[in-house]
Amino acid sequence: IMADGDKKKGNLPFGADEKPIKVDKWDGSAVKNALDDVAKKILTDKDCGYGYVENFVLMDMRLLICTVSVAFALAALVYDYLRPFPDSRPVLILCVVSYFILMGVLTVYTTFKEKNVILVAHQKDQAGVDPDNIWTVSSSLRRFDDMYTLHISYEDGQSNQSREASVVKSVASWFDEEGTLLMDLFTQEVKNIHSSLLAEKKEK
Amino acid sequence: MKLISNQLQLRKTYSRFLNLLLPMTSAVMTWKVLMLISSCGTPIVVIVSGGLIHLNRGDVFFISNYTDDSINVGDTVVFKVEGRDIPIVHRVIKLHETSDGEVKLLTKGDENLVDDRGLYPPGQDWLRGEDIVGKVQGYIQYVG
Repeated sequence: IMADGDKKKGNLPFGADEKPIKVDKWDGSAVKNALDDVAKKILTDKDCGYGYVENFVLMDMRLLICTVSVAFALAALVYDYLRPFPDSRPVLILCVVSYFILMGVLTVYTTFKEKNVILVAHQKDQAGVDPDNIWTVSSSLRRFDDMYTLHISYEDGQSNQSREASVVKSVASWFDEEGTLLMDLFTQEVKNIHSSLLAEKKEK
Repeated sequence: MKLISNQLQLRKTYSRFLNLLLPMTSAVMTWKVLMLISSCGTPIVVIVSGGLIHLNRGDVFFISNYTDDSINVGDTVVFKVEGRDIPIVHRVIKLHETSDGEVKLLTKGDENLVDDRGLYPPGQDWLRGEDIVGKVQGYIQYVG
């Protein structure tokens, strides 16, 4: 018999009914993606995670900037085709200037705003009254490096205080010789950070 | 249970699609910038066949088409004639200017024995302003 309420969250064995994740241990990007996806799932999954709600605004903003840029490029192409140069000059100037400004905006956005963020999730108040607490997860794994950094920050909805914690470890800590992800070990790592951030709150 | 939600999967796919497109759009837009700077529809031209002294197949030309930069005898120009898609890079050997400002040009490849009238469409003895794509400003050898 399943119990209702938040006691159920996080209690199902994580990944129990899933096939083990296996990656090419030499492929840094695959390794990072695997770890990132598990970390995200722990925070967002309703059944075996904390069930926080993923917020896509950060990613959507980047997608929007790119989409508008592509639209300007297409507009330039089409217009130049319909009314060949030099008639297309004014429209071309507009499109080109807009495009490169947007590319600049995109660079600034991904460098300073998006950075290494892989997840922004909202922890909704059970009663539905208080503002959400916001969990932000970022990670990095440099090329040809084996040190993976997992960084979680917590912003309290009511007090607007924020705390953060991170772990920096070699990816070898969580993968075996064949590249199979040791789910339990990594899950525990993530849950520890999560608990430590929540625990800090209670101390105050 | 899927590891990634549908919403995220959609965004990831779209994101990958954009990542493929963006380098291409950047290349296209850079070309448009060159067009704007040189005032010319095809600012860069590659020689396909010989015809001028010192110039060989594979040379890359930078051309411009400024309205206030008049073409003079002796200049190397790139022109197109109706019915031919490939632009031709030859030298201007004669130039007429009518009283209302219309310009007529005759071109010839340095290495050729005759002028280009054989290349012009039947009935056309002179190149008009519209046939000219641009004036050669400079070139890089053997790149194309």
